[in-house]
Amino acid sequence: MSATMESAVEPWRQYICRVCGLIYDEELGDPDSGLAPGTRFEDIPDDWECPLCGVTKADFDPYVKRAAAQASSAPANPPRGVGIVVVGAGLAGWAVVEAIRAADAGTPITMVCGGKADLYNKPELSLALSRGLTASSLVRESGAAAARRLGVRLCEDTFAIGLAPALRQLRTTRGALLYTHLVLAQGARPALPAELPSALCWRINDLATWGSLQERLAQRPQRVAIVGAGMIGCELAEDFARAGHRVTLFDRQTLPLSGLLPEPAAKRLKQSHAKLGVDYLGGVEIARVEALGDGAKLLETRCGRSVTVDHIVAATGLATDHRLARSGALAFDCGIKVDPLTLAASAPGVYALGDCVSIEGATCRFVEPIARQADAVAHHVTGRWHEGYRHSRPAVRLKSKILPIELSGAPCADGEWRIIREDDSFLHMEQWRDGTAAASLRVGTAKAASFFKHGAHA
Amino acid sequence: MNSAHATNFSTEFWPDPAAMRAEVSHIARGVLAGAAPQIDEGRYPLDIMGSLGAAGAFSPHLDAFGARFDLALEAMHEVSRSCGATGFLTWCQDVCGLYLEQSGNPALTARLVDHAMGRRFGGTGLSNPVKALAGIEPMLLRARKVKGGYLVNGSLPWVSHIGAGQYCGAMAAVEGDDGKRSHEIMFLIDFDGCIELKPCPEFSGMEGTSTWRIPLSDYFVGEDAMIADPARPFIARIRAPFILLQVGMATGVIAGAIDSMRDVEPALGHVNCFLQDRPDEIQAELDELTGRVAKLVAAPYDGGKDYLMDVIDARAQGGELALRAAQSAMLHQGARGYLRSAAPQRRMREAQFIAIVTPAIKHLRFELDRLMREETPQ
Repeated sequence: MSATMESAVEPWRQYICRVCGLIYDEELGDPDSGLAPGTRFEDIPDDWECPLCGVTKADFDPYVKRAAAQASSAPANPPRGVGIVVVGAGLAGWAVVEAIRAADAGTPITMVCGGKADLYNKPELSLALSRGLTASSLVRESGAAAARRLGVRLCEDTFAIGLAPALRQLRTTRGALLYTHLVLAQGARPALPAELPSALCWRINDLATWGSLQERLAQRPQRVAIVGAGMIGCELAEDFARAGHRVTLFDRQTLPLSGLLPEPAAKRLKQSHAKLGVDYLGGVEIARVEALGDGAKLLETRCGRSVTVDHIVAATGLATDHRLARSGALAFDCGIKVDPLTLAASAPGVYALGDCVSIEGATCRFVEPIARQADAVAHHVTGRWHEGYRHSRPAVRLKSKILPIELSGAPCADGEWRIIREDDSFLHMEQWRDGTAAASLRVGTAKAASFFKHGAHA
Repeated sequence: MNSAHATNFSTEFWPDPAAMRAEVSHIARGVLAGAAPQIDEGRYPLDIMGSLGAAGAFSPHLDAFGARFDLALEAMHEVSRSCGATGFLTWCQDVCGLYLEQSGNPALTARLVDHAMGRRFGGTGLSNPVKALAGIEPMLLRARKVKGGYLVNGSLPWVSHIGAGQYCGAMAAVEGDDGKRSHEIMFLIDFDGCIELKPCPEFSGMEGTSTWRIPLSDYFVGEDAMIADPARPFIARIRAPFILLQVGMATGVIAGAIDSMRDVEPALGHVNCFLQDRPDEIQAELDELTGRVAKLVAAPYDGGKDYLMDVIDARAQGGELALRAAQSAMLHQGARGYLRSAAPQRRMREAQFIAIVTPAIKHLRFELDRLMREETPQ
């Protein structure tokens, strides 16, 4: 009697068979095997067998409903059809879609994206922290909204795995897609040296990851190590320092950005960083990184110095993932090789643009050319004549409030730099080769001059 | 390591590729093709398996027999082309051979030749562990350390190619006295009368695979039965070859489906031309797939992430194409393919099996997704 009352009071529970997923519901019992409705799990005899797969009670666990998996907006079984497939939904991917839709409303477009495909301006990531921005405030339009607006079927959280150009087939983690034209806008991935383990080092190359780091840094001022004093490393160092964090910038070279800048310019940059509180640790190589118990990380240099920080950011450059190119036997050197006029890759019907391509043996990871590349690709994949993409190396601009830097032209490593003008706040230099000025460099702010009219780097 | 114990054997066992191909083909297209409907309904073809073993179908991938994964896949392809269930048994036998050899345990490698020649048979109870290690479901067997070995408890469902006098690989999570799991062990279970195999519910096809549930109650695992302790490094090493060998089942079923389509072309070509997935289209996709697999067979123990992804990609593609090919063969043959004894309707169930057997298409994509994501600090 009392047992019955307890049973009536305690809610019915469910148990799931670990083997076959059958759910035993106490309320329903299992009359076929002699368990009356209302039989509590603990009252089931030990030799009772799962009615579906025959295992015993010991193989059942309490059933806890999992939160529904986030469904992709793509149908589980993409229809086998024709159309344009775009891999990647960063600036380049969306630029191509916009350019196609500007002239062609009807051609089916499918976008394959490893994330949520939200539209944001990637260069903003390197100054967003000091502006108090968050991942959500950086989003200009959600991927889903843009897909609706542009009539695109969006396969989010989907990775392209393999390519068969002869079959015009792209294999993805949600099944194979056929295409009439394929546009690769897959971007580049951070290249992480072996001594910087991915589980301990942040890389700022997409909005989601930046957002994760931002959430942690927003809690309080922290110690941040930035490894690599190239463009991204220098910009992040300034941004993080302005946001109140204690930044140590590591590089193999004795001066920051010295792959790009002549010594007088690089020295000014180092001094400017110092004014913001950035410690520059130059001429060092990281030997190893270790997680300390309290969430802190220890960096050790080969020369025996060690620095303890809360976060490590690796800004050690980018590399194009060669998986798709390799599986589709596309010509590849440092990126997917494309025709400099048409941006066609080496297989019929395949185009590529943005950070993933290599044009005449070099990558060009800047924002400025993307719109022009997208326009050319959009013309070709919709069968319209195009005059040809004209590749030119855009001016390099370091996003810095304290010391804006702009480098234009085609500097080379062994060229001779001349100082054209120099004062406390401004330095103008030119690199001369064969009797002509091949490159021009402006460091700092000169009065009555506006030098910054070109695009930002990606 | 993969050639370390090859020296235990002389090359006298190495199959002659041409003779092996001819003999396996003869068996597959003759007695096996005739028996396929009965095997589908429940006949466990150990006699045919014995002939295939004697012909060298189960040994080429083993280090001691020349480490020719291409030949092993060819044999599996040929068998599966006639009978998917026997193709699956071939895979079970092949993978169990890998366990015995790669264990490096002299008590187990001593059994390799009989196994490889099809004089003894054994399967692989690794469906649950493979899913467990990928985080898809919990590990079902639990082991406790005792003097001289472990005591294993739990139930392993749906293990194929086992029976009296046979054996299979299995894995268990080792639990301490506090119930915490320290690591996993992998071992061989011998069905020598100590374990009563329990019947499984009937499947819709491929019933001749001798599939049972294994209840283990304080089952003792000693040193002689140990395949790997700890098991994870071993699993990491054999994972790619384990999956790669399954591709032979898929390509065989696809080729069989194409055979069925072509069989009726003279009579039905004038209407079949209105169908999608025509034999030439499926053949082109099969050729592309086998071309990719041909590049993978040279280095099954590559160990790299890219290689593993290529293998998983090929296996997933094999499953997807098998489904389409089988469905198309059914449509090409129409009513004659729908007959109870006809190959096309049987092959649809074989293709579905390939799509769902561990690792299923969804598991393969789950794993590819995981491998594609960049790790970030937590």
